Amino acid sequence: MAKKGDMLYAWTNDANIKEKAELGGAVTALWKYALESKTVDAVLAVTKGVDLYDAKPVIITDPKDLAKTAGSLHCGTLLMAKLIKKYFDGAENVKIGVTVKGCDMMGMYELAKRKQINLDNVIMIGVNCGGSVSPVSARKMIKEKFGVDPEKVHKEEIDKGQFIIEYEGGHKGISVDELEEAGFGRRTNCRRCKLKIPRQADLACGNWGVIGEKAGKATFVEVCSEKGANLVSGAVKAGVLATEAANPKGLEIRAKVEGAMLKLGDKWRKKNFEALGEGKDRLKKIMAETARCIKCYGCIDACPICYCVECTTKNPKYVAPGYLPVDFMFHLIRYAHIADSCVNCGQCEEVCPAEIPNALFMHSQQVELEKMFGHMPGVDMSLPLLAMVEEKEERARLNNTGSDMIYENVFSPVSKK
Amino acid sequence: MTDAKLDLKYVPTTCPYCGVGCGLNLVVKGNTLVGVEPYKRSPINEGKLCPKGETCWETVQKPGRLTKPLIKKDGKFVEASWDEALDLIVKKFTEIYQAGGPKALGFQTSCRTVNEDCYALQKWARCGFLTNNVDNCARICHGPSVAGLSLSFGSGAATNPFEDVLNSDLIVMWGSNAVEAHPLAGRRVMQAKKKGIPIIVVDPRLSATARLADDWIRFNPSTHIALANNMMYHIIKEGLEDKEFIKERTKGFDDLKKTVEKYADATNIHGVPQEKVREFARRYATAKNAVIIYCLGITELTTGTDNVRSMGNLSLLTGNIGRPGVGVNPLRGQNNVQGACDMGAYPNVFSGYQAVAVPDNRAKMEKGWFLKEGSLPDWYGVTLTEQINQAGDPIKAMYFLGLNPTVSYPDSNHVRAQLQKLDFCVMQDIYWNESCEFADVVLPGTCFAEKDGTFTSGERRVNRVRKAVDGPGESKYDWEIISLLAKKMGLKGFDWKSAKDVWDDMRAVTPGQFGVTYEKIEKPEAIHWPCPTIEHPGTPILHIGKFSAADGKGTMFGLEYRPPAEVADAEYPFTLMTGRVIFHYHTRTQTDRSPTLHYEVPENYVQMNTQDAKELGVKNLEKIKVTSRRGESIAIARVSEDVAPKVMYMPMHFYKGANQLTNTALDPLSKMPELKHCAVKVEKITEA
Repeated sequence: MAKKGDMLYAWTNDANIKEKAELGGAVTALWKYALESKTVDAVLAVTKGVDLYDAKPVIITDPKDLAKTAGSLHCGTLLMAKLIKKYFDGAENVKIGVTVKGCDMMGMYELAKRKQINLDNVIMIGVNCGGSVSPVSARKMIKEKFGVDPEKVHKEEIDKGQFIIEYEGGHKGISVDELEEAGFGRRTNCRRCKLKIPRQADLACGNWGVIGEKAGKATFVEVCSEKGANLVSGAVKAGVLATEAANPKGLEIRAKVEGAMLKLGDKWRKKNFEALGEGKDRLKKIMAETARCIKCYGCIDACPICYCVECTTKNPKYVAPGYLPVDFMFHLIRYAHIADSCVNCGQCEEVCPAEIPNALFMHSQQVELEKMFGHMPGVDMSLPLLAMVEEKEERARLNNTGSDMIYENVFSPVSKK
Repeated sequence: MTDAKLDLKYVPTTCPYCGVGCGLNLVVKGNTLVGVEPYKRSPINEGKLCPKGETCWETVQKPGRLTKPLIKKDGKFVEASWDEALDLIVKKFTEIYQAGGPKALGFQTSCRTVNEDCYALQKWARCGFLTNNVDNCARICHGPSVAGLSLSFGSGAATNPFEDVLNSDLIVMWGSNAVEAHPLAGRRVMQAKKKGIPIIVVDPRLSATARLADDWIRFNPSTHIALANNMMYHIIKEGLEDKEFIKERTKGFDDLKKTVEKYADATNIHGVPQEKVREFARRYATAKNAVIIYCLGITELTTGTDNVRSMGNLSLLTGNIGRPGVGVNPLRGQNNVQGACDMGAYPNVFSGYQAVAVPDNRAKMEKGWFLKEGSLPDWYGVTLTEQINQAGDPIKAMYFLGLNPTVSYPDSNHVRAQLQKLDFCVMQDIYWNESCEFADVVLPGTCFAEKDGTFTSGERRVNRVRKAVDGPGESKYDWEIISLLAKKMGLKGFDWKSAKDVWDDMRAVTPGQFGVTYEKIEKPEAIHWPCPTIEHPGTPILHIGKFSAADGKGTMFGLEYRPPAEVADAEYPFTLMTGRVIFHYHTRTQTDRSPTLHYEVPENYVQMNTQDAKELGVKNLEKIKVTSRRGESIAIARVSEDVAPKVMYMPMHFYKGANQLTNTALDPLSKMPELKHCAVKVEKITEA
């Protein structure tokens, strides 16, 4: 029986999965078991759309369809947490299994804190993530830096600090450092990310630390919760999954890889944040960049912290409707409401039509707030600095008291009854 | 069928609003549209969207959609069966055609609908009624671009892709507020700015785009030719013209030179100090690669075609055309304004700009369309707003596909009066709009989310539109409605089973797009026409090495400045300009049904200068009355320095708004009405 804290190598016994999947197919096998045992009603995963640069979410109820989700897509920059909130009612009425990267997982916790996702109905299988590349940028990079027609590429991976492609007639790897110096490579938020192994999911899976004869044939699984342990035990019992204790040497290697990635994250944080300047200079930069905003609300729509039905940016008292340029208050509202909880998922920046480095601005503030108050978002259910309010209750309170001080109750709590 | 609760489908498609052609994913559960998610795989917008793209799904499955054919009986619209409605249309159109001939009918299609619908409508008009009285609403946005760029370069389309501005060394935005009107093309300019590429915006108004500029050149409204000629005077005087390019690849230089000699100093016309004109001229002429992006500020005037040719002149004179980073690029207004023209919904050309006046072209179409030899007409059909003028005499019946002429055409009172003179009128649309009351039959079509097809964007890229959900009630695909009408008339060649069948029908008779198959545009890179063969990769940049004109040359023209048809005077002392806001599209039939967009701009407004407001005692956000010789409009005054004294600006979107005031005077070459310039007076609204 697996238990929380176990470090395992896992692989599938299922011939069909073995054929399609990477690294022994453990994740696919776990989901197969989860569906067959009705542990979950559906699995939310990622599949190829028009090609390998097009990551598309897919909801799977029939285990036979799992094959199409096998393997990783480094051009997949989706955020699963917000999709569960938006399109599955926050898993309120369905049991969902979801494969998560670090940012997905953090988004899940933040939405759960805000009662927008019911984690009781969710099983998360985390996968290690060294970062992802936006699809159009990836195609340009392959054309310009690799000198390869992106249409000819049938496989890509990030391994040992290299972005590697396989294409008709060969394979080629270039160091991620070199690519990023040239303006390509991972999204800038991914470069700053320090959540490479999602240990707050139910299971944390990946290939880091799989050595010896199992290298390439098994997945490293860290069992992170009771739920995760039960899933592994069930899958083993059902005969779809086999496990063995991870090689201790492999554990060391895994820690080393993670350490190197974290160091790299620190390097990029330093570089990005220093370039922003400090104090007034930083504010000036932020004001100049945000002045281009065209009020598409895309950042709000994509953000795993935003959930309000009545968004304050749509309160005409704060931001006049119908004007470009948009009042800076629009962005101040976002910083005030989100910065303490920003998980640096990068969505707000990736979708911004005005090329505003939204994630950089928000993340830089989050890091400062974390230094001051010690609150780290996205890794557990602890409440942020400004604490949570039930939107409806809070609005009722504001209406009743005539106050416009949202969050007032945080500093001088209003007793419930 | 899967449980809708556990369903999630992403349908990649193309945004239904402007001509940039952004990709987006419609999110579907069962048959319900539940959202839009970024399509980051699209090279056009990389998942980024503007306020309209973000909300385009909100307006699809809303109450108020047309769901059944409606026939007006005793002044009231009653629901009818498809057979009854279509039989009535066939009967009426046939009777009127038999009595009055091909010139007694008028057909108009929207640039908002798919290519397949546009092709179907013009094919039916031409095959069924042997008429060239078919046009589309490009007439009132980029008609002058088609006319002007054809004269200058031999092809009436944008020369370079949007992204190509990033290869430029100087970007000139002339009469284009791309940030609001084409936001994701505006994004390319923002990217260019971040890259350090200088941007010059030429606009009478401090628009959202002008705010991006390194240099904003405010000039007097509608004085483009004077300013361009003045620039070219300086370019030639200082010897900065590209002599080799002129010699090798152009003609008409002497004509141009002779004319611009008269524009040594035109400041009294355009209002820009000579020093600034000279500097602008030098910068444009000496930049290694300079691109001009223009829009309706150039076209929607009685000098529209000449304004466009002036942009052509500038680029030919300085050799800024035919390679990356240069060119003359109209930002095509609507999602399919390029396509509607390409499909031959135009009174003088078949699809692919094959002139109806050329006997070989007619013979070819007659063969392809199963028509009798010599049956297709060679005459230039009646254009969009001229059809309105001819309503009643000689035009007795009109067919509108996806249009709202009483709001979007100039001089709304005139349009309403004219439509009443028709014996028979059909409106095919997705929502009941302000013009439907003038129809005898209203037919329910389907919107972008409910059908397959293609939109051709402003960079000549043929983008796929994919069906995500079924249309409401008994609505039908718009091309299907046309095919049913044609089949009821016994016409051959309308047996289409799918949008792809219509597309392939078009390809078969259109050499420039023969190679654009549905298979080839499955991926979002799609194909830029011209693409003559299946093997051809498409043509992102036009005019490399050789112009599209018959002689392969670009042509420069000596063009004189002419003032607008109606200028401010003592009685109507203000110049009124019109334009777009980012939160709405055209007559708001769709955008105002989006709660998000309605919240932003629920009412008509007008911008006026602080000094004028002070003189009239008008306060910011006060409602005022704006009157022209043709009508009046109530609008909220937005008082600022964004417009110059005595100049006003009103968005064109609102019912009883700008087009109550606008002038129907036409550009002689393109028949573009002067939507961007008229004279008005302003009054305070006194409390009764």
